Amino acid sequence: MLPSGQLKKLLDSRSERDVLEGLRRVVTMSYRQPPSQTLPFFTHVIKNIASPSLQIKKLVYIYLLQHAEHEPDTALLSINTIQRSLTDQNPQLRALALRVMSGIRVPVISQIVSLGIKRGVGDMSPFVRKAAALSIPKCYQLDPNTEPQLLDYLSTLLGDKQFFVAGAAVAAFLEMCPNRLDLIHPHYRSLVRKLADMDEWGQLATLRLMVKYARKSFPRRTRKIRKPEQKDAGTKQKGTKGFYDEESDSEESEEPEYEEVAVLDPELELLLNACKLLLQSRNSAVVVAVARTYLYLGTPTYMSLAIGPLISLLRTSGDIQHVALYNIVQVCLLYPQSFVNHYTHFLVRSTDPPHIWRLKLELLTLIFPHAAPRLQSLVLAELSHFSHSGSLDPGLVKEAVRAIGRCSQTTDPKTSARCLRLLLTHIGSADAHLVAESLEVIRHLIQRDPDNHRTTVVRLAKHLDAATSPQARASIIWLVGEFAGSDPENNIAADVLRILVKGFADEAEPAKLQIVLLAAKVYVHHLNANPPPEHPKPAEPPQPSPSLLDDFHDEGGFRDEPEPVPQPSPPLPQEKPHPVVALWDYILLLSRYDTSYDIRDRARVYKALLATPTSTQLANLLLLAPKPVPQTPSPSETRKGYVLGSASLVIGDEGGVGGLRGYEDVPPWVKEGQEPDPSLRDEAGSASTPSYDAGGARALSAAERLDAAAGAGRSGSPAGLNGVGGPVERAAGFGGAGPKKEEKSLDQWLEESGEETESEEEETDEEEESSEYETDSEEEGEGDRLVR
Amino acid sequence: MSSIEALYIFDEHNTPLLEQTYTGRPPSGSTILPLYLAHPAPRPSLIYLPNTNPPTLLYSIIQDQLLLLCPSSNDTEPLQILEFLHRVTDALEDFLGGPLLASKIEGHYDVVAQLLGEMVDGGVVNCTEPNALKDVVDAPNFMKSLLGGVGLPSTTPSSLTSSNTPFSLGNRPSPRLGPSGGAPAATASPVPWRRANVRHTSNEMYVDIVETLHVTLSPSGRPLAALANGMIAFTAKISGVPDLLLQLGCPGGIANAVSLPTFHPCVRLNRWKDRPGELSFVPPDGRFTLAGYEVDLLGPAALDSFSTNTPANAAPKLNIPATVSVQTSLGPTGSDFEVRLQLNPRFKGKASSPLPSSTSSFSGRGGLGKGLGSGAFGGSSSTGTTAAPAMDGMVIHIPVPAGVKSVVELKASRGAGDAVFQPADSRVRWAINSREIAALMANDRGTGAGVLATLRASVVGHDDHDGHEGPDTSLGLSANTYDYDDDQASYQVSSAAPEHGKKVDGNAAAAKKNKVLMPSCATVSFTVKGWLPSGIKVESLNVDQKKSKGLGARVQPYKGVKYLCVSRKGVETRC
Repeated sequence: MLPSGQLKKLLDSRSERDVLEGLRRVVTMSYRQPPSQTLPFFTHVIKNIASPSLQIKKLVYIYLLQHAEHEPDTALLSINTIQRSLTDQNPQLRALALRVMSGIRVPVISQIVSLGIKRGVGDMSPFVRKAAALSIPKCYQLDPNTEPQLLDYLSTLLGDKQFFVAGAAVAAFLEMCPNRLDLIHPHYRSLVRKLADMDEWGQLATLRLMVKYARKSFPRRTRKIRKPEQKDAGTKQKGTKGFYDEESDSEESEEPEYEEVAVLDPELELLLNACKLLLQSRNSAVVVAVARTYLYLGTPTYMSLAIGPLISLLRTSGDIQHVALYNIVQVCLLYPQSFVNHYTHFLVRSTDPPHIWRLKLELLTLIFPHAAPRLQSLVLAELSHFSHSGSLDPGLVKEAVRAIGRCSQTTDPKTSARCLRLLLTHIGSADAHLVAESLEVIRHLIQRDPDNHRTTVVRLAKHLDAATSPQARASIIWLVGEFAGSDPENNIAADVLRILVKGFADEAEPAKLQIVLLAAKVYVHHLNANPPPEHPKPAEPPQPSPSLLDDFHDEGGFRDEPEPVPQPSPPLPQEKPHPVVALWDYILLLSRYDTSYDIRDRARVYKALLATPTSTQLANLLLLAPKPVPQTPSPSETRKGYVLGSASLVIGDEGGVGGLRGYEDVPPWVKEGQEPDPSLRDEAGSASTPSYDAGGARALSAAERLDAAAGAGRSGSPAGLNGVGGPVERAAGFGGAGPKKEEKSLDQWLEESGEETESEEEETDEEEESSEYETDSEEEGEGDRLVR
Repeated sequence: MSSIEALYIFDEHNTPLLEQTYTGRPPSGSTILPLYLAHPAPRPSLIYLPNTNPPTLLYSIIQDQLLLLCPSSNDTEPLQILEFLHRVTDALEDFLGGPLLASKIEGHYDVVAQLLGEMVDGGVVNCTEPNALKDVVDAPNFMKSLLGGVGLPSTTPSSLTSSNTPFSLGNRPSPRLGPSGGAPAATASPVPWRRANVRHTSNEMYVDIVETLHVTLSPSGRPLAALANGMIAFTAKISGVPDLLLQLGCPGGIANAVSLPTFHPCVRLNRWKDRPGELSFVPPDGRFTLAGYEVDLLGPAALDSFSTNTPANAAPKLNIPATVSVQTSLGPTGSDFEVRLQLNPRFKGKASSPLPSSTSSFSGRGGLGKGLGSGAFGGSSSTGTTAAPAMDGMVIHIPVPAGVKSVVELKASRGAGDAVFQPADSRVRWAINSREIAALMANDRGTGAGVLATLRASVVGHDDHDGHEGPDTSLGLSANTYDYDDDQASYQVSSAAPEHGKKVDGNAAAAKKNKVLMPSCATVSFTVKGWLPSGIKVESLNVDQKKSKGLGARVQPYKGVKYLCVSRKGVETRC
């Protein structure tokens, strides 16, 4: 690092090399140190702005952009020189000057910037026009009063025939005035035509704009259409697997003959078709943007086109994969069937980080209900693999078990039973996480449908011996208390309690708590069944059904033979209390002398609650209240409302309920009759709508135009040959001898093969003609689809 | 929607390298970095920081150990920003040379500043095409001198070009003095992705097809999923505006093999749609990714074989160079596991046998002298590549649960390779170098059923110290790991504690306990040169002389093709 004196000397030097060296050092400093370190050089640097050397100019501009805000007055001195550069012969320099001038955050110069933009808009070089487009929002930020002029410029630029200028103009439009859709009408068709040729960022901006524009301009029309038979055949042929087609077939046959089909406005269809070419884009954001366009504007047919490209995003690097998965999940929530065939992409790999496998597991469960039986077993095997051997990561175990739970809730009873069996095998595992999570899921399953799961509870009770983890035991005991006690015919709760009580002292605290609770519940049930007035007599309720007891013995489930304690001993039936009452008293006694405060306290609460056998209402309310059925929707259901491709979708509700700052929902479809007049979209100079209709069906890509041009050249007109060969050779600079042609855009360059002079109108006409010719066959295909 | 508010780059020690603010007033890098680092370790690429002012969405990527952060206060399209960050690293690599090192950025702030200034204008992504950037920003000088000195003039345009493009080289005194008499020079390339006026003294083009394997095998060895992700990298160093046609071929027909392709914007999509396998394009100058695709190695009928009643051998056959299988819970206490590596004898990779020059000579890009004409290209190369594909860099990773304190008695059969337990990543790494592979292959030459190598090891959990393991090994390893995972495995201790000490039915109990410590999968990494799992090959690569411009009629560019199959922990076997 040079001392500042020396650096200043370098900057003041007359030698360009020294100045350049000095500037390099200052720029380096400005990246490494706070601005206070580099500000002292401001005047020394700015002095060089008039340097003829481009290198120096660029570095001065960089410095100026970084520091202008700190020294607005000195910065103003440089404006004059920059303004002069706006008229330089070199287009790159003009563009650079415009960019720098608009980038200096000094509000006083807004009018000068506006003038500069005006000049730039009319510039011959598309690079300058692009810079002008991007300067518009910056100027607007400087001084919102310039808006009317800026809108004027913007409107001109939106219609620019250079695709990358138009793309930048759209970006500027979104930045500055995203709601002035009236500016878009005259350019809608040309923008859609240019879509395929724009660079990726222009495509992104345009697609973003178009979703909004289309929603507000094309009312959704639906038509009832008689279902043709071919449609089913058609979908089958398309390679979608038979299993869900069969399903839909059967559904369809039950439905009435007519169905609602969205009728797309031909101009909207224009957009949707133009998007097709973007589906193979290397830019993942573009693919998602097309998917968004299809999702919110198109029909399911269009959406199905985007499924594959969405999946292909999973090939990319991890960071993009993560965001792409969120979008895939979002689409999958709506169209799960379409993703079934791509299941191999959703299998979790051992190298996936948590945020990836979480989403993959969710996808597996989402496609599960729509999968063929074989795939279902594959998914279940997959999930159970991760649930029991995934001790690598406790989180994965948890998520896999939950996924099994989600799988079981949506399908037919057979699969559901299978899931449950899977979960039950986990209970004996040594992995505490697995057991706890499995029981949690089992509990949910039972709570959702208690009537069908009576036997499950019995089975769980049998597992009490195998389960060693206190949490697991506690869960099982709770389940027994909750579901096994209510039905007097089938009551094992009292029996379970009887056996548990014997080992009470050895239980861990969570299990003890549940045992006390179970005792209280059993007692309440008992009181409810035999209200105290006629209290001691009928010993009917708690007698467990013999079959269940036999079960226990067969299985050897409970090691201890039932001891005579609970058996009502005959001798003194009047004095001896009912077994349940005896059990209750016994538990209270045990817990009263327990070491845990909590257990003692709870026991006291229950005791007080049940002190008077005649009034059990309060106890009923507390102990037997129906529990709300737990809902375990797919984790991403909470994000369902967010727009595909937005950051809010990835962040979820964490960013605030309405989405993050700047989040915009897709606007609702405009109501029929309120849409803007379609004639607004007529292009000035364009011949008539019908010709456009065909022509716009597909925009030509730059490469295609190259083809067309080369084809024309080959076809033999000597002028054409010259046209093709000439500029390249000259441009390639063989000796730099050739006369300088005026700068050309791609269009012009290519069109030159045909004719020497051309007007814009002719060009568009010709383009439309050629594409009309090329898309004839495609159109037929579309016609077919429309008929359907 | 102004998306790119700022860009911060940090080096591998998280020292700030660069802060570039584009628009607005985003929180500075020094406030954001601690918040980013506070997020637990595998950090997602998008983090929401509600506590900054304004609340910030933080996008991040890590490239070559450099951390790139991009804050945004508005809801934008996350993929847009992430793609942009990737383009930034691409551009930096393009200009400064890869891999991207902190020192390279530090040495060329002026170039980096120009690049970043060109790429984003007022928060809107402006231009990311490397060729277009080359037109407006000069590559650092050392590259030119260095490459010029080595004798690769073709990597940079010859100085002839500069006379026509005022911005391409900065050594001219003034832009005003350019050759442009009245009209501006043709700086604007007619093809947006190709720079204007490319000139190379020797014309070359290379196709590299790289397929990355992603195979998942079930415990029984049945393939659950087998995908190969293909990438066609193209290097074009051709003068003028060439129009190229690349034809790909595949045994089963390219349309059946390749699915979900993505293309560089230069590829004519309709040509591909009409005739799959034909890529017609005007390439950008330099190296770029022409296309990406995916091949399902199992085929569409794979699902039908997933059922319990089909025998395992009816499963679709997979032709991949190496697979592993893992058997767990072996030994008296169930603490051992065995990994069996099966090598496909086809990939012997006779190091001595002369590989056809069309494949081997391209590893060093300097081999221009060999002068392989286009005639030697084509059929001969395709047969040559499959003749002796060579396997290299074989590494097997066996991740073990965090509860494992150490893995001892690592014994590889016949001394094949080195196996070590890496406690920091809690995994066993078994590396076999190519010579050892060759030796293994030589042993089993006769059988032809495949070559086997096995590794046996036993795990030690945290609670059973020196129970049945040799003291020497366990001591050495446990010394490293003791403090490391002690806390992590505490849950294991609590659950297993009651069983500790009673050796009555110790074996069964220990087996149950050790079951939790068993690995659940093993992955294989390797590279195979000269072979692709999909069988795709380049059938021809031609310059369309009629459509090309600026390339002399008799110029026959030098062509080269390279095939590479990579598995980065891509072959995974469950157990």
